[in-house]
Amino acid sequence: MTYFIVKRLAIGLLTIWGVVTAVFIVVRLAPGDQATVALGPDATAADIEALRHTLGLDRPLLLQYFSYLGDVVRFDFGESYRFGRPAMDQVIERFPATVQLTLAATVIAIVAGLILGVVAGKKPGSALDRAVSTVALGLQALPPFWVGIMFILIFALQLQVLPSAGGGSLANLVLPAVTLSIPFTALVARMTRSGVAETMSEAFVQTARSKGLTEAQVLTGHVVKNSLIPVVTVVGLQVGTLLGGAVIIETVFAWPGLGSLLVSAVGNRDYAVVQAATVLIALCVIVLNLAADMVNAKLDPRIRLEARR
Amino acid sequence: MTIRTRRSLAAGAGTVALLIVAAACSSDDPASQTGGSESAGGDLTVAGPIPIENLDPHGAASLDAGTQLAARAIFSQLVVSSGPGEFEGELAESWEPNADTSEWTFTLREGVEFSDGTPVTSADVVASFERVLAGDGPLAGNFGGYAAAAPDDSTVVFTSGTPDAAFLGKISSFFVTPQAAANEGFFQEPIGSGPFVVESFEPGATLQLAPNPGYWDGEPALDSLEFQSIPEVAARMTALQTGEIDITWAMPDDQIAQLKSDSNLTVENVASPAVFTMWMNSSTPALQDPAVRRALWQAVDFESIIGSLYPETGTPADSPISPAVLGYAPQEPVPYDPEAAKAALDAAGFDYENTVIRWQFSQANFRNFVDAVVSDLAEIGVTVEPMEKEQAVFLEDLLALNWDMNLQQLGTQGFDAATNLGRLYTCEANRIGYCNEELDQILAQAGSTSDTAQREDLYAQAIEIIWDDAVGMYPMFVEQPYAWRTSVEGFEPVSDGVPYFDEVTVSGD
Amino acid sequence: MTQSDILLAEAPGPAVPPARRRRRRPLAAIPYVIIGIYVLAAAIGPVLIDYDPVATEVTERLLPPGSATESGTAWLGTDAVGRDVLAQVVYGARTSFIIGIAVVTLCGLIGVALGAIAGYSGGLSDAVVSRTIDILMAFPGILLAIVIAGLLERGMHVVIIALSVGGWVGFARLSRSITMSTRERDWVDAARIMGVSKSATLTRHIVPFLAGSVVALATIELASAVLSEAALSFLGLGLPPDIVSWGQAIAGGREHLGTAWWITVFPGTALTILVICIGLVGDRLTRRFTRKRD
Repeated sequence: MTYFIVKRLAIGLLTIWGVVTAVFIVVRLAPGDQATVALGPDATAADIEALRHTLGLDRPLLLQYFSYLGDVVRFDFGESYRFGRPAMDQVIERFPATVQLTLAATVIAIVAGLILGVVAGKKPGSALDRAVSTVALGLQALPPFWVGIMFILIFALQLQVLPSAGGGSLANLVLPAVTLSIPFTALVARMTRSGVAETMSEAFVQTARSKGLTEAQVLTGHVVKNSLIPVVTVVGLQVGTLLGGAVIIETVFAWPGLGSLLVSAVGNRDYAVVQAATVLIALCVIVLNLAADMVNAKLDPRIRLEARR
Repeated sequence: MTIRTRRSLAAGAGTVALLIVAAACSSDDPASQTGGSESAGGDLTVAGPIPIENLDPHGAASLDAGTQLAARAIFSQLVVSSGPGEFEGELAESWEPNADTSEWTFTLREGVEFSDGTPVTSADVVASFERVLAGDGPLAGNFGGYAAAAPDDSTVVFTSGTPDAAFLGKISSFFVTPQAAANEGFFQEPIGSGPFVVESFEPGATLQLAPNPGYWDGEPALDSLEFQSIPEVAARMTALQTGEIDITWAMPDDQIAQLKSDSNLTVENVASPAVFTMWMNSSTPALQDPAVRRALWQAVDFESIIGSLYPETGTPADSPISPAVLGYAPQEPVPYDPEAAKAALDAAGFDYENTVIRWQFSQANFRNFVDAVVSDLAEIGVTVEPMEKEQAVFLEDLLALNWDMNLQQLGTQGFDAATNLGRLYTCEANRIGYCNEELDQILAQAGSTSDTAQREDLYAQAIEIIWDDAVGMYPMFVEQPYAWRTSVEGFEPVSDGVPYFDEVTVSGD
Repeated sequence: MTQSDILLAEAPGPAVPPARRRRRRPLAAIPYVIIGIYVLAAAIGPVLIDYDPVATEVTERLLPPGSATESGTAWLGTDAVGRDVLAQVVYGARTSFIIGIAVVTLCGLIGVALGAIAGYSGGLSDAVVSRTIDILMAFPGILLAIVIAGLLERGMHVVIIALSVGGWVGFARLSRSITMSTRERDWVDAARIMGVSKSATLTRHIVPFLAGSVVALATIELASAVLSEAALSFLGLGLPPDIVSWGQAIAGGREHLGTAWWITVFPGTALTILVICIGLVGDRLTRRFTRKRD
């Protein structure tokens, strides 16, 4: 196990370095000069040159890269010219809203997905099973941003029961969280369904039944418990997709999180914020995937063995 | 089975509820905190079109509408523009240019204090000005060659190497901060001499203000003032109608009719200095000939476009600068006549086949307008390629003249033609690819005299040249729409879309 | 990437009694029929419906579905500058297919090549490919595309590149894992012993074995590419304004949601139905090929 952990950690560190480098490359490839935007159309060429110098943009690329690496190690992504403060501060300030949104969506997905999955998997092949499976497939393919807009149209504009945008309150969280949860609800439902369908035929379920437990007790006590762990691990592995979805959903609902910050920073060429936000999101993905991996490995020794190969 | 499932459902729902409660608690709801206090002036919540991301009025965001909005509440200007060529003193009690307007002397108002009790002195003004000059922001470009000095505590002298009649217009975007503004973190909890003080600030989200009891012009009656950011237009409109916010402005035309039908709202437009400006790059070979530029202008049915897309806020323009600006002079409108346009292009030998006019713009809300114009030009066989660019690329290309046609909603800072015509249309500025020595002379003359009547006359001459040479198309004057709840009293819409709130009260919320 | 995980993870999936699934159901043909209609619309629709994305008619803006216009009836209404929404739906299908197919082809080629080489050779090349995959996997799906498309200048090729940068990873992971297991099979050993060169073994004995699963994944990735293109356009990134796309149409109608719902609802419905149908087909293929592989 130690070998496995060490190897995974090493790969994780390597990945983080790669992420940081990739972000640097992408940002440097972009046309449009940060100094020009900051100084506006009336600046003289000398002013622009001076600011480029202050920002270190006139140094050789390799030098810029190494000093960037050095800063990143200290978690310093430079000053955001838009916000006039360290980019990471701004990013960290928006982070809780994104966490809130993704957590709420995860909980909804797990709860709704489990219920759907159990209902479907209880009698594999039944009409109900087929219906739920098809609906789940459909849900998984729904374009989330489009669903979000339809929710706004229905619940905010037509029925006027929920606010369409903004952050902060309970009512504000409902629409974005539900929208974000939809594909994951479908994913969890499908996984639970196959898990339950499989377990239903296993010996210990038969035993439980023969002991005289009710069908409901068998389901919750044995079947669901058994399918829960893989579901949670997969959700851990899906955290990247979830965060990616959040970026778009936040923009649709003007949820004041990392995603809407990132999208506007891209438009404003606020490189410091783009770098800080991207790296932070990637970091979350790496760490959570790593955690999910470890949990998986602990549960399933075959994975540990494979790592040795 | 059913019972158990339900319980697990309930447990799950409980978890969601917990999370949501956590969400609700973590965001402090200012309305509920201040709502209980006895209110003479009430609590005002405002959501403008642009989020407030930065409170530093000297830095990179200094000309941002959001920063300016906050700055007008927190800090003080030397002078405030109050109309075409008219100014009111704020921190400055009086001011005087020398004969050739290359030196401006300001006398500061006595007894003005920052909200921490220290007096506002000329040293603060000079330090702020130097911060602008040294700063990495767009404001610095206005004051190239300037220096400020403080001969005594209440006098500030600005000197420039060259005459600058429009200095007042420029300095009206300049805010005075304490010298401590240079310190790191100052703008997290800034101290100013404006009507309000900062209670809390979440960049890009909310700015919470309280009245400044020591404000020189009298403490504002409001109990609190909150700026919210609601980027989504539809949400902002809904928030206004439900009373979550009290004032908003810069609404798109399509939303205004609906607001007007709401009896709880007052909707009002004010003339603004903004003009839809479509420069045509005179250094592009295909657009060199004024006859071609004029023909293109003639080929677009701006009247229908404006009538359809901007029925509330647009009026056909008859000058490159708006009537709200000093120097405005009306010109003969360019009539829509596609046949005459086609004939003129044919006569000028316009190459329809091989000319693609690259038209750049940077704001998504211009798309409809751009599409409509492109369509009209396509009708007479002229190909225009609309190029929507990100702000950074747009600016770089704008300065490099890397475009054939350009679209901006151009305002005129300080309501003075000098900051628009005088700044942009000279050969030296080379911002449009257009160079006309006669125009240069007129503009230089207008920029170096403080006699208003003479300046108006000179700008009228300049405008005639610009209009007749079709340096650009000038299709539309833009009005600034405002909407506020009827419970709001004393609100005065201002033409540049950056209103003040010190005279406002809210009744019976 | 979600989907490629399923493709990998579902491999040992005996959950469904195969006999029942094999039974032909007439409903199963529906997604194919719908996709066929879309392909037809994208291919010949532009010939039948005359639409110039450049031509606007501002006096006929925001007309509800079924309104009469100067150029005929606007069955799905008109948008904010008086363009026909039906025509936008049809022309948007073409844009979606062009971008989707280009992205999947590019990703498929790169992914399969790298995955097969990594899986077969192991060692350093495997390490390099695997670590690159790890790095790209750390960027949540669309994030990388947003940053790339947002920072580069607009154009269809930029969108294709932006979506491909992260998109090949799924193909590479799939091909790598299948190649690794295939490598140990008898016929590959036989080829190796007979002295068949490495590249020939790869192309002749391993890559054909990948085909089924890759096609299944390509279908799923097509759905996700179409979706991502729409999402990018919706955010106002990537495509220039004169290319008709569902995402742009949806974004353009957002401001008029309360008064002119048809601008957003119809292109969105078109997008949703297409993505769901491709997803259904992809799922079916996935199940077929993962079972065969075992």
